[in-house]
Amino acid sequence: MIRERLRPLASQAKRAYVQLMLDVVGRSLEAISEVDDQVRNEVTVLPDGFLFSMQVMPKGPALFMRKQRDGSLQYLGGSVAQRPDLSIQFKHLHHAFLVLSFQEKTAQSFANDRMLVDGDLGYAVRMTRVLNRLETFILPRLVASRAVKEYPDNLGLPEKVFSAARIYLKVAMNFVDTVRSS
Amino acid sequence: MSYYEFFCPVKVIAGQAALEHLPYEFSSRAVERPMVVTDKGVRNAGLLDKVLAACEEGGMDITVVYDDVPADSSKQTVTAIAKEYRKQKCDGILAIGGGSPIDTAKAVNILVSEGGDDIAQYAGSGVLKRPLKPFFVIPTTAGTGSEVTNVAVIADTEKEVKLPFASSFMLPDAAVIDPRMTLTLPPQITAATGMDAMTHSVEAFTCLAKNPLSDAYAAAAIRKISNNLLKVMEKPDDAERRLELAQASTMAGIAFSNSMVGLVHALGHSLGAVCHLPHGLCMSLFLPYVLEYNLGQIREPLSELLLHLAGPEIYAMTPKSQRAEESIATIRKLRDDLHRHCGLPRTLQETGKVEKSQLDRIAQMTIDDGSIMFNPKEASLEDARAVLEKAWA
Ligand SMILES: [Zn+2]
Repeated sequence: MIRERLRPLASQAKRAYVQLMLDVVGRSLEAISEVDDQVRNEVTVLPDGFLFSMQVMPKGPALFMRKQRDGSLQYLGGSVAQRPDLSIQFKHLHHAFLVLSFQEKTAQSFANDRMLVDGDLGYAVRMTRVLNRLETFILPRLVASRAVKEYPDNLGLPEKVFSAARIYLKVAMNFVDTVRSS
Repeated sequence: MSYYEFFCPVKVIAGQAALEHLPYEFSSRAVERPMVVTDKGVRNAGLLDKVLAACEEGGMDITVVYDDVPADSSKQTVTAIAKEYRKQKCDGILAIGGGSPIDTAKAVNILVSEGGDDIAQYAGSGVLKRPLKPFFVIPTTAGTGSEVTNVAVIADTEKEVKLPFASSFMLPDAAVIDPRMTLTLPPQITAATGMDAMTHSVEAFTCLAKNPLSDAYAAAAIRKISNNLLKVMEKPDDAERRLELAQASTMAGIAFSNSMVGLVHALGHSLGAVCHLPHGLCMSLFLPYVLEYNLGQIREPLSELLLHLAGPEIYAMTPKSQRAEESIATIRKLRDDLHRHCGLPRTLQETGKVEKSQLDRIAQMTIDDGSIMFNPKEASLEDARAVLEKAWA
């Protein structure tokens, strides 16, 4: 009986966590795309106005980014009326949770058929590399080496850019504990 | 703990007198007026006649044949064939050939089932939501595995892009594998397509989406290729060994369509696009160098593959710590032997068609290729460039 009362709580926490982490990813992606050469280099080939989204099926939490003329990515929040040029969709909330709590690498999640790509696969490959790069910034080194295939040695960015993201992350980690303990 | 998905609903009809099963297969799907989609090479090699004769003898006259599929099929070709299909009131498709006729037929099947004249509107994955018209495939090269893959690529020549299609509804109802269809394949193509099937298996077995079911298909395919490819080079009219290679190609296709490929294919797609070299040759050119590059991440599965590449005696004699290296050495030796038999190039330089100045562009395209996603080691532009340098000479 107690289990049955706890389960929806855990699921609610998971949903909130995924929503929050997508927001963290969106904001951080915007910040990093303004300053990091490696990310800017990946993004250059995307056409101006290119709309990218990550979504949880069906109609779950989402994030939308648009490529700006200055080469950066603008975070547009969790919903946009327009159909995205490239969307990466998680088949289930739990799959998004696994990736966004860094328990499963993005590429592995693709390999496990947990995500679908709608759009150009070449662009999806680039966005996966951008997400990997992002993770190395906003995560402590230990966690990041689990989340991405390889961890780069030189992260030459001012710390303060990502302090905000780290604060979000601390809040987020509390959600992981909540979900895990239930 | 791992997770995986595996799917292959294609009926495989393989072996002696397999072609003669076609009339029954057509009737089991109530097909009375199938359209054959093939190319001039297949017709000129006399393979089309073999199929038509087998059907005729079985009481089924096939009268609608499109035999003009180009090597790189385009949107216009697909539209033209679909128009002919409708005009002739056909009710099913039979593709005969290598990758191009099969991909073309998959795309034609989308148009004639879903309607419209523009195949581009169905590009992408997950667009199709229901089964298509009855569809059968007879592969004539032992390499691509297209008869069991759920993808097709069609060129949009106006926009100069390649349109990808992916849906399990594109899989044929049945694949007919008859040794007569590969018996006359020329030596270089036999070697190159055999190395393509080998690469499908090795990448399926060592890349990120490997799983127990695709592993079983991949390992068995590698064993068949290792035991038969050189023997067929020595004795091209050995129908039994030809059948072994054709089956290996289908098994490798089942393996890689469920576990994907990696950096060998990413490099190979790019080299093929820039220098116009055949796909199978591109695979052979990169396979050992990519395995060396990935070695740190794939030592265990690659060690396991030695059993299937070199046989139980060599496997048992090789110390555990040396098995992965020995696997790579065995593949290198196979390439040397193929080079001796038919001059299949082993390095980019040996092809005589690659300029050193093109390597940068090939590396750039490689890191944008979808196949790189599932490579076990994350390859940067510099990494891709370094592998190309090693494959140069
Ligand atoms: Zn291939």
